[in-house]
Amino acid sequence: MDTKYYTTWEEYLAEHPELEGKPEQAIAPKIVKYEDAMFTFIMDLLL
Amino acid sequence: MTDAIARTNERNQLFKDLFSGNTPKRVPISNPATQDFAIQYAGLDLAECQWDLTKLEPVYDKFCQDFYTDTYPGGSIRIPSHYQILGSTPIVMSSSGFMQHPDVVGMLAEEYDEFIASPYDCIVETILPRLYTEFNGPPGKVAMALAKAMKAQADDLASLGAIRAKMNAKYGFATMVGALTEAPFDFMSDFLRSFKGISGDVRRYPDKVAAACEAVLPLMIKKGTLPNPSMLGYTFVPLHMAPYLREKDFAALYWPTFKKMVETLAGMGQSVQLFVEQDWMRYIDYLYELPENTIMRFEYGDPKLIKEKLGKKHIISGLYPVTLLQTGTKQQCVDKAKELLDILAPGGRYWWQADKSIIHLDINGPVVENLRAVLDYVHENGTY
Amino acid sequence: MIDLQALTQAVGDLDEKTIITMIEDFVATNPSGEEAQKIVFACQQGMGIVGELFEKNEYYVGDLIFAGELLSKTIDLLKPVLNDVATEKVGSIVIGTVQGDLHDIGKNIFGSMAEAAGFDVYELGVDVSPSAFVEKVKEVKPQIVGMSGVLTLAIDSMKETVKAITEAGLRDSVKIIIGGNPVNEDACKQIGADAFTTNAAEGLKTCQGWVS
Ligand code: B12
Repeated sequence: MDTKYYTTWEEYLAEHPELEGKPEQAIAPKIVKYEDAMFTFIMDLLL
Repeated sequence: MTDAIARTNERNQLFKDLFSGNTPKRVPISNPATQDFAIQYAGLDLAECQWDLTKLEPVYDKFCQDFYTDTYPGGSIRIPSHYQILGSTPIVMSSSGFMQHPDVVGMLAEEYDEFIASPYDCIVETILPRLYTEFNGPPGKVAMALAKAMKAQADDLASLGAIRAKMNAKYGFATMVGALTEAPFDFMSDFLRSFKGISGDVRRYPDKVAAACEAVLPLMIKKGTLPNPSMLGYTFVPLHMAPYLREKDFAALYWPTFKKMVETLAGMGQSVQLFVEQDWMRYIDYLYELPENTIMRFEYGDPKLIKEKLGKKHIISGLYPVTLLQTGTKQQCVDKAKELLDILAPGGRYWWQADKSIIHLDINGPVVENLRAVLDYVHENGTY
Repeated sequence: MIDLQALTQAVGDLDEKTIITMIEDFVATNPSGEEAQKIVFACQQGMGIVGELFEKNEYYVGDLIFAGELLSKTIDLLKPVLNDVATEKVGSIVIGTVQGDLHDIGKNIFGSMAEAAGFDVYELGVDVSPSAFVEKVKEVKPQIVGMSGVLTLAIDSMKETVKAITEAGLRDSVKIIIGGNPVNEDACKQIGADAFTTNAAEGLKTCQGWVS
């Protein structure tokens, strides 16, 4: 998706160097979960 | 194991069989009446119950008790709180408390290019502020409105989920997950260009319509993806515009991205249920092209023809006319159910649903009695 | 001088560019009201072609919606030169989408076809209460009342509306036609309407039969 409003984990990580060395397996699902929750919420407003 | 758990297991098996193309033990049934109907049936106030969801538990209990169904009833529901918080214009509560969708235009014809360049950016920056008043104003206020709305919706969904879990535990319904999406062309039509707008666009700028459908396809696929494709459940796709198009326009503008969407979802291993609204009979050969085991709930059509053309590859549902429940006698209603069973059940791949949802209850009308008679009849006689 | 036959054909083909160019060129010649009236007539005949193609399943609802839009666009362009021409009306109809229902596409299609066929159309909009129908009937005394609705609950509202018209003592002065996806013969009987249709062109013929 080519957009400013949805970030994949890879893109997110690249923008957030402070996360380097932190437990990615715990952080990634959480960040992605809310990214997706926002996407679903927004799209549901148009369905 | 309690009775209810045993019933859930049994019903889950019905649907696992059905969705994988095996013939289930009997014809599964879904009650077509919605939450609005259930609230009116309980004699409560529509608006109040939708704002105060704690009122819904006894509503659902009575509804589940009195009407036979294998899946949790209730239909698609729009809960008012987050729409209110966002200043919604496309979804508003009517004076009677019914959540309704007036005709709106979220995107102007001049905005096609912006949309095609990045559909999601255009949605966030242009379309939502046009349709939802609270997306306008100082950034801090917009952010807070959005936060409140999401929290409200999450709370509401949790309340409804808790009721659902209780009813499943008590009545042993099949436990299915769902996702909702639309065909790209329908998405462009419904909240963006409107039924009227798109009808002009098809003639004025067909290339832009086609490009917009392509551009929005990945969003529609993502929206329709189940949390985990192996879960029991389906992506629900209500189909709107195709019957209103000439075949030439359908073939060029509607079908290509819709087909890709269904194929992609099915390719991930999940079920897709199409609600084939209006009359698709002139497109029946197109429907045949869709992946095996696609579920098709029809609103119209000749059941014999549908069975003959699609019944070996796809799963057929719908067609039972809810208007008959309003106007017919009990015997006529049951006869109709029998007629459809006789045509559609042999050989499997049939799921009993009605042609439409029942979104409203006329207390003085015959619907309650007729609906119960039909659900019971199909439950008792629904063999393949 | 404008080629009326070509205009009729362009309307039938829903060829927007040709229609608009022809009408604009025509208006630029500063024509008389009578001449403009001929143009309107040619457009109406074009709408007749659209209706026929719809009945033959060559056009679909999307095309009808577009046709309605084109027609109102042309009438808007012609308005400045149509001034003060008394037009002959074939009859009058009050139409509206019944209470609780906001769907108006079908009603609008029927409305623009009826207008194109020379009816005076009084448009009440959507979600119209029985009393609003009654008030309008009292006010304009139409020959026909057209009710539209696509929600199944519209059947109940139509019933209520006919009841209200009857109670107001107006039932014998009007013919009532209902339209929209859920109407059928049984519903029509229960509602107490005179005719039903799920096809605007057919409904128009019924109405024309009533006023001829
Ligand atoms: C387009 C559409 C919409 C658009 C409406 C846009 C608009 N401005 O009208 C939008 C997206 C806004 C919409 C909203 C809703 N919709 Co809707 N919608 C439809 C859809 C897809 C098409 C209806 C339509 O316009 N058909 C095209 C027209 C041309 O057909 P028609 O009305 O039959 O008209 C023809 C003839 O009947 C005749 N005619 C019509 N009126 C008259 C009158 C006279 C006098 C005459 C002579 C002839 C005549 O002429 C026309 C041309 O031939 C239908 C699907 C379907 N199967 O009908 C659902 C459908 C009607 N909608 C439905 C629902 C549930 C809703 C909502 C309630 C959803 C929601 N929860 O918000 C809201 C409605 C809110 C409300 N209170 O009304 C359901 C109704 C189910 C039910 N049990 O009643 C349907 C059937 C979809 C479905 N299969 O579930 N909808």
